[in-house]
Amino acid sequence: MNDLSAPSITYRAVPVRPAVARRIRGLSDQALAWLFITPTIVLLLAINVFPLVWAIYLSFTNYRANRANAPTIWLGTDWYRSILTDPDIWAAMQVTAHFVIWTVLIETVLGFGLAFLIDKKFRGHGMWTTIILLPMMLSPAVVGNFWTFLYQPQIGLFNYVVAFVTGRDASSFQMLGDVTLSPWAIVIVDAWMWTPYVMLICLAGLRSIPDYIYEAAEVDRASNWRQFWSITLPMALPFIMLAVLFRGIENFKMFDMVNLLTGGGPGSTTEVASITLKRAAFESWRTGYSSAFAIILFVTVFGLANIYVKALNRVKNR
Amino acid sequence: MSRDANTSTLRRDLADRILRRGPLEAVATTIIAAGVVMLMQPFFLTLYSWSFAITLFGTVMFTIVSKVRE
Amino acid sequence: MSVANAAHSVVEPSAHARRFAGLLVILYAIITMIPLVWIVLTSFKSPDDAISYPPKILFKPSVEGYCNLFTTRSRQTPEFIQTLGQPRGLCDSIARSRNMVVAGPSNYVPRFVNSLIIAFGSTMLAVALGTLSAYGFSRFRVPLKDDLLFFILSTRMMPPIAVAIPIYLMYRTLGLSDTRLGMILLYTSVNVSLAVWLLKGFIDEIPREYEEAAMIDGYTRFQAFVKVVLPQATTGIAATAIFCLIFAWNEYAFAVLLTSGNAQTAPPFIPIIIGEGGQDWPAVAAGTTLFLVPIVVFTVLLRKHLLRGITFGAVRK
Repeated sequence: MNDLSAPSITYRAVPVRPAVARRIRGLSDQALAWLFITPTIVLLLAINVFPLVWAIYLSFTNYRANRANAPTIWLGTDWYRSILTDPDIWAAMQVTAHFVIWTVLIETVLGFGLAFLIDKKFRGHGMWTTIILLPMMLSPAVVGNFWTFLYQPQIGLFNYVVAFVTGRDASSFQMLGDVTLSPWAIVIVDAWMWTPYVMLICLAGLRSIPDYIYEAAEVDRASNWRQFWSITLPMALPFIMLAVLFRGIENFKMFDMVNLLTGGGPGSTTEVASITLKRAAFESWRTGYSSAFAIILFVTVFGLANIYVKALNRVKNR
Repeated sequence: MSRDANTSTLRRDLADRILRRGPLEAVATTIIAAGVVMLMQPFFLTLYSWSFAITLFGTVMFTIVSKVRE
Repeated sequence: MSVANAAHSVVEPSAHARRFAGLLVILYAIITMIPLVWIVLTSFKSPDDAISYPPKILFKPSVEGYCNLFTTRSRQTPEFIQTLGQPRGLCDSIARSRNMVVAGPSNYVPRFVNSLIIAFGSTMLAVALGTLSAYGFSRFRVPLKDDLLFFILSTRMMPPIAVAIPIYLMYRTLGLSDTRLGMILLYTSVNVSLAVWLLKGFIDEIPREYEEAAMIDGYTRFQAFVKVVLPQATTGIAATAIFCLIFAWNEYAFAVLLTSGNAQTAPPFIPIIIGEGGQDWPAVAAGTTLFLVPIVVFTVLLRKHLLRGITFGAVRK
């Protein structure tokens, strides 16, 4: 990353004379710092914090966005209590858990495996790495939508390939319409899309391990197996944690791909938390209720974000 | 007498060792993680009901603890 | 994959291990590319070929998908079509062969233009704000610096749906709902966090001595920023801009909840391209292909900086 070369700048080191200090006119550094930072903070306060505070207020009321003129009644923590004792919302959280756990598990195993292989530096690994990275850069919504075509029972490529391999009939199963298969349909697309993400971070982790450690292990005649478990994996672990946390947070709030693939269906078998929230907020227009739900999800993500930044800082010092 | 002195130094040592950022952050992290697990576990509705309070507590604690000296 | 040959350095895997690793990675790459290749292939299929069983790999290429993407058509009787003159252009003749006439342009181009305007507008704003803030955070002692930086990052991690509810209400009050300006501001606020973190990483790498030397030569701090730091940070700014652009281009959740027509971008539009009797898959594939091509180009341009981008600048190699 040293492409920030600076050929044009050849200032001589001049000792600071008192007269120079007077020449530095204009704003003081402190004023300039605030001048530079304030616009960003103001924008974030206006577009993120203000609405959030508003949502906290609404979560204590019976406000409905489609009946804005109805009198607003203060309900206290009623919505929170009803959400946190509602078995249906609890079920949605479990659907989310299934999605998060399996996607993160598959992506970590595949991603680390790929990174391990790419780290062998075979010929052309740069090009193939770029190709593997493509899916994660694409729009989850647009590509997720196309997967519904691949999943079509009779004409879809996915069904055809599975039928070809297993010898079953291609129209005998519906990835998106079946209660047991549809949770896996979204896991497959997410794993396809985000394995490269984990791979890229794991690759950085593997490359951060200095060669001399392996050389020392070799002197000690540690087997490859031993080296993997006592050097490679522990030293790459902070990076793996970083990827796991970020994918966990992202998939906890997953909306676009699931909305387009299944829309939460069939029934509510793939109704992850974001879909439940969207239905409550933008279909039933229970604004106060959905605000409370949003705050619950928000606090969860905020808590995880704290851990994520801690993991980020740990990796940064490597 | 001597025992008194001993416990007070012990207490100070303990406070010094525990009331630091590292361990406190680890505790807060564990609490947040516990809250998240409670939110999504399929076993007990009661745990689910308390998950939000736990996560909120952990998050607030994390924010405060990150101000404690290193 | 054991490195049995001890003559090699440990760090250098044996030729066998390398070849085997390469084989597996290439196999994965090919499998992962199949859906993308299938999108492009489908976009050049006729509707009948697209839904044939078994799926066709070899087919007669057709631009009908692209025609259907850009036009709306209406069904007419053959007698009526006879009365019309020569077909106007290729798409018209394809439509007529299916007893239809081209009725007018579809909404794809306006949606695509919305995507362009909103993506570029928000990117420019986010990068401008982000560069200033990043410089401020990188060079000055800012009180509560870590907290501010965390606050900035945390706004990006919020669940979009949770934020969308109050934003929907706020925009409705301000008259910003379904406007490009509203979407630009919203995407700016999401992107600025990434821009600050990424650019701070890039600016941290520029030695302070450059500005200090310039200031000794009589530049003010601001002049030093403009004339010394900005030129040095060009690569970083470009990489950051592309990241912001890709995010705004790909975003779906806010777009589908907060826009309905006027300011709708392409991602919520492409899935609702409907033909007669269900989804018109070649047209959807054509829309998807055109939508994805810029991203593929950008990804290749950006490949050296991807790691930074996805870790908010923390991992640099």
